Amino acid sequence: MKDRKYNTLKCYLWSLPSLVLILLIVIFPIIYTGYISLTNMNVYHWTNYSFIGLENYKDAILVFDSGFIKAFVMTVIWTVTSMILQLVIAYVLASLLNVRGLKARNIYKTFLIFPWAMPGYVSILLWKTGMFNSQFGLLNQWMNKLGLTAAKWLNSDWSAFWCCTIVNLWLALPFMITIIDGALQSIDHSFYESAILDGANWFERTVYITIPMIKPIIGPSVVITIFTTFKQFDVIYLLTQQVGAKTGANIHTIMTYAYENAFITNNYGYSSAISILIFVILILFTVVINRRQKERSV
Amino acid sequence: MKKRIISLLLSISMLATAGFTSCGKKSAKSATANDPHTIVIWHDKEDAVTDVLKKKLKTLEPDVKVVLEKKSDLTESLKMVGNDPNSAPDMYIFAHDKIGVYAEMGILEPITNLISKDDLSKFMDSTVEAATYKGKVYQMPLYYETLLFMYNRLYMKDEEVPKTTEELYSYMKENTGGGHYGFAEQHSTPYYATVWINGFGEKILSKDGKAKLNTKKVKEALTYHKKFVELQPGETEYATVNTLFSEGKAHSTIAGPWMIPTVKEKGMDVGIAPMPVIDETQKSLSPYMGVQGVQVLKNAVKTKKASIKKVLKVLMDPDVEIDLAKASGCAPAQNACYDQDEIKNDNVVMMMKQTADNAVPMPNAPEMDVMWTVLGNLMTDINLSNKDIDESLKNAQAKADSLIKSMK
Repeated sequence: MKDRKYNTLKCYLWSLPSLVLILLIVIFPIIYTGYISLTNMNVYHWTNYSFIGLENYKDAILVFDSGFIKAFVMTVIWTVTSMILQLVIAYVLASLLNVRGLKARNIYKTFLIFPWAMPGYVSILLWKTGMFNSQFGLLNQWMNKLGLTAAKWLNSDWSAFWCCTIVNLWLALPFMITIIDGALQSIDHSFYESAILDGANWFERTVYITIPMIKPIIGPSVVITIFTTFKQFDVIYLLTQQVGAKTGANIHTIMTYAYENAFITNNYGYSSAISILIFVILILFTVVINRRQKERSV
Repeated sequence: MKKRIISLLLSISMLATAGFTSCGKKSAKSATANDPHTIVIWHDKEDAVTDVLKKKLKTLEPDVKVVLEKKSDLTESLKMVGNDPNSAPDMYIFAHDKIGVYAEMGILEPITNLISKDDLSKFMDSTVEAATYKGKVYQMPLYYETLLFMYNRLYMKDEEVPKTTEELYSYMKENTGGGHYGFAEQHSTPYYATVWINGFGEKILSKDGKAKLNTKKVKEALTYHKKFVELQPGETEYATVNTLFSEGKAHSTIAGPWMIPTVKEKGMDVGIAPMPVIDETQKSLSPYMGVQGVQVLKNAVKTKKASIKKVLKVLMDPDVEIDLAKASGCAPAQNACYDQDEIKNDNVVMMMKQTADNAVPMPNAPEMDVMWTVLGNLMTDINLSNKDIDESLKNAQAKADSLIKSMK
């Protein structure tokens, strides 16, 4: 008993430096944001701010209007579409990378991982000016060569949504390909050999062997990617909403909507209240997903 | 055991690195914070400007050492550290439009506490007006910028330069097509769109910080402007419009003086003309005037007042502004500079002076921060999404009112 207590204490002591860092980097900002959300800290009360209770939350609820609901629905559609496409494309590409006898496998992997090496901001702006720009973009250059009318890719909601999805895929696929590739390599080939002997075709092998075996490995990565996609800001903002470079498309995720309706006000109390509410939404989302996963595993 | 030692060492080194990094930064800043003879100035200017300033400020050494530090995110950094004497600069050089924000935050010292009224009277009235917030002057102006009407002489001859907006429209109709545009501007970008709104005599933000978007004049301006937008590219961003002009695809444009070196480098014979007069109002298109100048932080004055005064005195020398004009095409803020032949013979600077007579100082109230976004959305709704003007104006007004209310 004494040994057990000693061991537990030892574990905590060894973890202490990491716990302190996590506390400073992750927990403290959340607590501090919560504290600021209860004050009237803004440009007019920069140093002399005071505690105002839940006033900011009362105002923040007003941001959750019909526009916010629309943005929320849009965020869900955006997340689901991106995730389905990411998983399917990443699975196909990772499977191709694992074809037996494939030559120059590492070169393909290097190319596929390339978008990950570039800063996201640069990639997004390169896509915006290099591909989608109606005057100089590659897509319209091709359209012109084919004798088609040049398109304004980012001007309408529908086409801007798909342009944003493509850019998001470009940025996110390397991660998912790497994870699925690793998961595929971990499957023992004897399973496939037995299945082939039993007469299973490619589809049956995929459904009954590959997917069930890689699911627990890629599960956490999928959850992480769902959250990254759900709270995505850069892609949509930089492609369609940037001040001075708006395109006419009116697509908003909850993050871009909150930015345009709160964060530009320089009212830090109010913006913090909105951040905390979005944080609560994300926590609820996590709880729901975890519960579903547990139910499925049972 | 070996593993334990390695992990212990790694943990210690991680914490030590974090500790040393923060301490290191702090000590570097605090060294200058406590030295009354070292002045740190933040800025976001190009080398041509800082070279002139550095050369002049060097004359203060060894009495006062001035460190010019370039900050790309100057405005946000100041919000974060403006109150902290160990991290904040002593002065900064930036446009006047953020004065309201920092004055309300209480981090700025009125410049009149550091320079005399006589000295201030040497500057153009419009630049001092721009630097004034709630009756106090917070900036010592150095130079100002306005947008200019520019044209490519290869396509638009001097005698073809439009004197009125209707002449411009006729030129656009005749010369737009086949990958060419008679005129291209950042039509749905707020800073550029206000050229038209100001020309119709409206100010989108009142002096007391109230939005004025759903007004008769704004409606007239945006309705009239739309026919010009229809003959321009669908993109409104800086890169597209400037590339169209510099590549010779757009015959004329409205752009800042910073555009001139780029197009001259490409061998363009660029002409600069007065802004066209709007036929409907008989007033010329009126851009915003941005005044670049020196602001002093309150904390710095407590310990470094004497050195700060010396720096301001040196920068007040008209030669600095003349050198800046020669180096970077900046229009001097002091009246006396315009008596010098070097300035009189500078076509760009003199055109900016002429434009400045009709220009509107960019509002410096904190409320302007939200107006940029709201106006940008309004312009996009009308010009790019073809939404109903009345409905868009009504929505923009409501949004601006609500955001301004949320600021407090």
